[in-house]
Amino acid sequence: MKSTLKNMVLVLFSITAIAALLVGLVNNLTKSTIAETEQRNKDLAKLEVLPEFEGEPQLEEKCREIGDFKVNVTIVSADDKVVGYAVEAPSITRGGYGDRIYLMVGFVEEGDNTLISGVKVISQKETPGLGANMTNKGNSLELSVVGKNPTELKFAVKKDGGSFDALTGSTISSRAYANAIETAYAGYLWAKGELPSLEDAKSGATKEHDEAKTNDEPEAQKGELSNE
Amino acid sequence: MSKLQLITKGIVKENPTFALILGMCPTLGVTSSAINGMGMGVATMAVLIMSNMVISMIKNIVPDKVRIPVFIVVIASFVTIIEMLMKAYVPALYASLGVFIPLIVVNCIILGRAEAFASKNGLVDSALDGIGIGLGFTLSLTAIGAMREILGAGSIFGFSFAPGVMPLLFILAPGGFFALGYLMVLFNKVAKR
Repeated sequence: MKSTLKNMVLVLFSITAIAALLVGLVNNLTKSTIAETEQRNKDLAKLEVLPEFEGEPQLEEKCREIGDFKVNVTIVSADDKVVGYAVEAPSITRGGYGDRIYLMVGFVEEGDNTLISGVKVISQKETPGLGANMTNKGNSLELSVVGKNPTELKFAVKKDGGSFDALTGSTISSRAYANAIETAYAGYLWAKGELPSLEDAKSGATKEHDEAKTNDEPEAQKGELSNE
Repeated sequence: MSKLQLITKGIVKENPTFALILGMCPTLGVTSSAINGMGMGVATMAVLIMSNMVISMIKNIVPDKVRIPVFIVVIASFVTIIEMLMKAYVPALYASLGVFIPLIVVNCIILGRAEAFASKNGLVDSALDGIGIGLGFTLSLTAIGAMREILGAGSIFGFSFAPGVMPLLFILAPGGFFALGYLMVLFNKVAKR
């Protein structure tokens, strides 16, 4: 069809208007369903990272904001006994290879010991086949924390002198994962009232890592072939 | 050209990856495993069929000079709508395909077919062309993904048979070029005969 100013303006305007209308309509239709699904997944994840228990779960939520980020601590109890703490936390000091990583981390208490009972990745945008492997069951990162006492963990990958077994070829994603676990642990301590505030915990706990890591900041994942 | 030929040409003669060399960016980016390649292929096919149909319907009212922006608006709206619908009603599928969906907007195969085929042909033919090219893309990506997964991770579709002994290189970006190059040579050798 031959182009004239009039028909170009008219067609472009009407097509974009129809498209915008449709997108807006679908957004309105799906918004609440999407929010519900996400909430349900999070609630499921809270129970998934804790060991199995009997009785109806009661959830008590506490939320702590650190700058722009939120750390959600859920205290899960059944029959008036605390089963454990499910903490949803982002990686604060460093993002992954894609975006920030959000983890749900479960903490349980056995006597005087605290143990990490499970970890579930809530959201991540890492490279499929590399960093995204952190969502797989039984990956090396999960194995380095689950069942461990967080007081004995060093929140960094082995390459940086920590106790996290990095994913093959994905040191950057693994560092973010370690950082998110550290944030979750700080959130857990805060919820128990053992730390005055999360900010203090963060600034004190992460400083040394940051200094140690600034040198290799521009390093890409590709350079980590030998890091098994 | 018969209806069946419209489909088969997308798989062999006009295979988007190995013959037309289109859509290289998602091809290299997502084929780190066979299932990822297949997921991207299927998601692209769905968008391609629908965008081809809509564009063949509106082709007569779109002035030539603004056709590209119009096509892009149509494709981008489709992708956004599909993403939202999937997220809301089939969250399990979204969980596995979700990362590829935004990539489809920038996939030049879709714009390429809109421009080269759908804007000149009827509704049914355009839909068939979308199926053919979509199948070709899916098969090619699955093949590249399978090759990289076998050589790089020692597994196929997630089933591991030789974990940890294969060169990781094939999963990483350079391996994508190797796999693409060798498969392209092989494909053209066989297809041109």
